[in-house]
Amino acid sequence: MADAVKVQRRLRAIAGALALAGLVFYATAIVVREGQAALVTRLGRPLRAATTPGLHWKLPWPVDREILLDMRRRVYETGHTEMLTRDKKNIIVRAFVIWRIGDPLAFVQAIGEESGAEGKLDGLLTNAAIGTLGGHALSALVSTDPADLRVDEIEAELLAATAPLALRTYGVAIEQIRVERIALPEVNVTAVFEQMRAERRQFAAKFAAEGEREASRVRSEADLEAARIRARGTEEEARIRGEAAAQVAKTYADAHRIDPELFRFTRSLASLDKLVTGSTSLILRTDAEPFSLLQGKGPTNAGRARASE
Amino acid sequence: MRRSARFSEARKLGAPIARSLERVWERMHWWVIAMAALYAVSGITVIRPDEVAVVLRWGRLIGASPALREHGPGLLFAFPKPIDEVVRVKVKRVFEVAVKTLAQGGGEGFHSLNPLSGYALTGDRNIVHVEMVARYRVKDPAAFSLYGAQAEDILRVEVTAAMVRSLGEMGVDRVLSDGRKDLIAAAVGRTQAALDAVESGMELTSIELIRLAPPEDLAPDFNAVQSAFIGAETRRKDALAYAQAAVPQAQASVEATVQGARAAAAADLSLASGEAQAFRDLAREYRSNPTVFRERLYRDGIDRAVANAGSIRWVPPPVGGRYQGLRISISSFSSTTAAFPPEAAIQGEARE
Repeated sequence: MADAVKVQRRLRAIAGALALAGLVFYATAIVVREGQAALVTRLGRPLRAATTPGLHWKLPWPVDREILLDMRRRVYETGHTEMLTRDKKNIIVRAFVIWRIGDPLAFVQAIGEESGAEGKLDGLLTNAAIGTLGGHALSALVSTDPADLRVDEIEAELLAATAPLALRTYGVAIEQIRVERIALPEVNVTAVFEQMRAERRQFAAKFAAEGEREASRVRSEADLEAARIRARGTEEEARIRGEAAAQVAKTYADAHRIDPELFRFTRSLASLDKLVTGSTSLILRTDAEPFSLLQGKGPTNAGRARASE
Repeated sequence: MRRSARFSEARKLGAPIARSLERVWERMHWWVIAMAALYAVSGITVIRPDEVAVVLRWGRLIGASPALREHGPGLLFAFPKPIDEVVRVKVKRVFEVAVKTLAQGGGEGFHSLNPLSGYALTGDRNIVHVEMVARYRVKDPAAFSLYGAQAEDILRVEVTAAMVRSLGEMGVDRVLSDGRKDLIAAAVGRTQAALDAVESGMELTSIELIRLAPPEDLAPDFNAVQSAFIGAETRRKDALAYAQAAVPQAQASVEATVQGARAAAAADLSLASGEAQAFRDLAREYRSNPTVFRERLYRDGIDRAVANAGSIRWVPPPVGGRYQGLRISISSFSSTTAAFPPEAAIQGEARE
């Protein structure tokens, strides 16, 4: 029984000690997470900034107080700002900034609340953008010629113009500034539409003409090739016919040499066969053969000659 | 003496509170012990298969290298809060962020665009609307876990800026036709470089263009160009089809002509050879009796001529070397016509 009471007392003591330790810890410890910083103030006066993550200490309230700050990077998009480029073109630019708290003490003193930082950044950036872009032509932002483009340069100029000032004045570290949008004033968009329409018409006409030209070229080349092929064919045909004619002539000449007179005679008879057809009318003398036979006459040389003419 | 009197006074005042606490403790001390035990093991965390965890001890990231920092799937033994904080990150999942900053919003003027409308300028100062989806996964859980909800905002603006920049160096025709792949590659490269520069811990896996188009008001003009292009392609293909037909047709025609010539040549040669052979045979016979042979050939020839002729007219022999009252009329309707004696055909004299 006495042991149980002892155990009870020990447990009570441990629990009480733990509760007391927890209370003291809660009152004096500052847990700074990754991406956070704590600004410790003593009786309202900034004392130190705990910027490394881990456990930090302070005197209990109301002597010391800590202000926890979100040190993570965050993005802020500026408003759409109209400005004039060096070549007198009105453009509307929107940029964004990746920023974080760089100097907790300066930040709390200059801005106070984290939500107030964006208003300060907007003014800073707008001024810088107007100044920077005024020194560049529009082609530095948009151009099909890589030599004209200066976006990296512009963004570096904007960073150089704002980052040191923001850190010094507001305790804000600007890590990146990028052009997020480039737009045109509404009145200019109508003109751009007209320009785009004109370009489209030009392209449509160009495509049509190029298509026609290409088609014509392909057809002409095909015609030329076909003509060349036909010419070669005609040449080949003529050669074959010529060779054949020569061969035929030689064959007949060989035959002619055997008996020229008989050859002429047989060729004449063959010609006569070809010439006298169903549409031919022959006019013969009545004293020629064979009609002369009816008159009791024999063949005469004269009659024979007339008939063969 | 006065001090001990004050102490006994305080004890008297605190006695009811002490008694109450004692009563509570007597009734609930096992619960307190159980809760303390539960608290002690509350830091043990189950890491799921698609997750990686990092541990913050008193707010500080534990582990000097990624291998030591990151804990894979399984049980992770950590101290309870506020000592340790386990941050779990889904590293294998691919997340999507819709980027509509450059997409045309609703209710805008048709013939112009408000600067607040989403659009971008191309390198040749044309206007296009772009709607995108960016996909990413976590490549550095420790870095990513520090961004929290801002991570996707940063991704969205970086993708927008990279796309504006990439569009600003390309012509609209390239962007809308064969340059989409280059456009996306350039935007992905720029976005990733920017994300790495701010240690976002994100890996951009892709940018998908949901819509990339000119303003609606200009759609008919762009369609007209497309139609012209298709028309030109059609004409070119028609011409190619013509070319592909014309050349083989010419080849076929030539082949037919050459073959015809060869056939004709072969026929002529055959005929000539045949006739020459026939003549040689004839000549051989002719030499045996020339007069009879010649007479027979002549008679046969005359017979064939008389038999083949369409008509035969007989005329009396001339008197005194002259044909009396004979006129030969050749009509255009007949190639070889001799009329005797047609009506009025004999109108004059013909000399033999």
